[in-house]
Amino acid sequence: MFKKILIANRGEIAVRIIKACQEMGIASVAVYSEADRNSLHVITADEALCIGAPPAIESYLSVDSIIEAAKQSGAEAIHPGYGFLAENAEFARRCEEEKITFIGPNSKAMELVGDKVRSRQTMEKAGVPIIPGMKDIYKSIEDYEREAKKIGYPVMIKASAGGGGKGMRVVRDEGQLKAGLEAGMREAKSAFGNESVYLERYIEEPRHVEFQVVADNYGQAVHLFERECSIQRRHQKIIEESPSKALDPDLRFRMGETAKKVIQVSGYNNAGTVEFLLDKDKNYYFLEVNARLQVEHPVTELITGIDLVHQQIKIAAGEKLAINQNELKQNGHAIECRIYAEDPLNNFLPSAGKVLFLKEPRGPGIRHDCGIYAGSDVPIFYDPILAKLIVWAEDRDLACQRMINALGDYVVLGIQTSIDFLKDVIAHPAFQKGETTTHFIERYFAAWKGKEVTEEAQKLAALAAVFDTTNRTFIPSGASGQKEIYSPWLTLGKWRLGGR
Amino acid sequence: MDYEFLVDNIVQKISVDKKDNLFLVSDGDQEYNADIKCLSPGILSILIRDRSFQLFYARDGEKLHVYLDGQHLVVREPTADQTSFEGGEAKSKEDMLRVKAPMPGKVIKINVEEKEEVRKNQTLAIVEAMKMENEIKSSIEGIVKKIFVSTGDLVDSDKPLMELDFKT
Repeated sequence: MFKKILIANRGEIAVRIIKACQEMGIASVAVYSEADRNSLHVITADEALCIGAPPAIESYLSVDSIIEAAKQSGAEAIHPGYGFLAENAEFARRCEEEKITFIGPNSKAMELVGDKVRSRQTMEKAGVPIIPGMKDIYKSIEDYEREAKKIGYPVMIKASAGGGGKGMRVVRDEGQLKAGLEAGMREAKSAFGNESVYLERYIEEPRHVEFQVVADNYGQAVHLFERECSIQRRHQKIIEESPSKALDPDLRFRMGETAKKVIQVSGYNNAGTVEFLLDKDKNYYFLEVNARLQVEHPVTELITGIDLVHQQIKIAAGEKLAINQNELKQNGHAIECRIYAEDPLNNFLPSAGKVLFLKEPRGPGIRHDCGIYAGSDVPIFYDPILAKLIVWAEDRDLACQRMINALGDYVVLGIQTSIDFLKDVIAHPAFQKGETTTHFIERYFAAWKGKEVTEEAQKLAALAAVFDTTNRTFIPSGASGQKEIYSPWLTLGKWRLGGR
Repeated sequence: MDYEFLVDNIVQKISVDKKDNLFLVSDGDQEYNADIKCLSPGILSILIRDRSFQLFYARDGEKLHVYLDGQHLVVREPTADQTSFEGGEAKSKEDMLRVKAPMPGKVIKINVEEKEEVRKNQTLAIVEAMKMENEIKSSIEGIVKKIFVSTGDLVDSDKPLMELDFKT
């Protein structure tokens, strides 16, 4: 086993990995940018090295600085977390060359699954279902009409150079195809400077269902069941759960076997996730492999009882997989909410700043993977994820209620967060019924306003301001001072807010 | 003692006096006793007519952030010109002319030049923060009077990026 591991990440995931190292008796090395000197991962780790300037490209994405930090600290392995260099095959290869163990898949498998076109071709050959679509780009409308017929309506027009929903449109029958193609090409041209578009089967009411897989270095693989991650905004997941309400034991078995096949065909090792789209008729299609530990991995940990980071470290150290597929069971229900520094009332705009106050929810079945503390800064340079709130309960209904209560018990002041928004999403009747598709947020929450502030709250807020103003001269001085907390009321002079 | 605050930009007048261990509150409509205890820094327990409220607050310079039962409020000191200002969503004229970033970030692109005419909703600049690009749009039809930043600058959310003027 390793004696020392470097964690090439920041925020909640770095803290989570550092804690796993501590549990395993492994020394942990944090790396940090100049903006992160006071960040929680630096405080939590055994050692910490500054690797550069605040922009990620000069620090958390700097391969040379991180390799140098590993050598300097004597770390034998690097855990990349998620994001940053986690799926960078170049970095994995560099670690291999430098004889530092990369805790993740081998660089060759990572390269294969990272290339969407090549991986889909490989999977199609292996008999894994993929979304039917065009293989080439054509010139004439007739060619598109022929292809559309082959794929089957409704079809989706997508920009070849695209991403982020631009240039995409749905065509339901042949009559609309020409107009749709012309508009799609115009949009693609203006958005990407390249008008070429292709067709793909449009998946109605799609759910995003993924399977967690763990594979050792000797070809043994197990899956740890599914996670449903359909609740998304800006194509990014915000709520994940397991089990999925859309799967029955037979479908779960088939998808799980497909997921293992994907991993084995790719020559993949360590932890990975196989993503599928599931349509309303329960057909599933392979999307891609996420070659990393995922943000939503705690959901799987809570229902299987298996610590995925421990597994990753053991496998990377060369241990054989000690889990049997037959012995794995899904126990109860788990839901995760991602807590982002963002403003749901303002198009989910990120919100940087200082955390002035933090109250973490606590109670049975509540897990909080957190990267902040009261007083910590949320820099503008990185992804705005602050923490993850995960609940476990015997069944889904109880898990929903537990999550609603926990979110209500979660207070962050100083920066905007998604907490109130998430609470309303979980409380929505359609979510409670499990009618979760990737269109959920745009369908039900496009005009979300948040809880209206009551007159009573305004008066209480004013009362709090009076209290704060009159007590600002008070400085606690040990235990004896606590009793005197109200006495400065007597010293009240002419009131001026903000006066020193 | 009488107090005046702006709670979410609405003027709240409140009169509070200490009476034994309680606070005698008069908010215009009614008078009541409030039992206010500070449980730990930032957490207040307030009992009013046997109802129990838990309230969280944190000071950020001139602003007091308050959270109560799913509601976020901001309390400020009333300024001279705001004391008579009730509610009101409309932006002041100065606000419309001063273009600010919605959050601290880095200027990726400036799409206009000084003296250029701009349409309403035309993109003036792009500011990136936390892996997300945001287009800063003009709220008026007018001309660009002055640009204060250049591409690559780190900007704050309270400093203007540029100043516009109405067409004359």
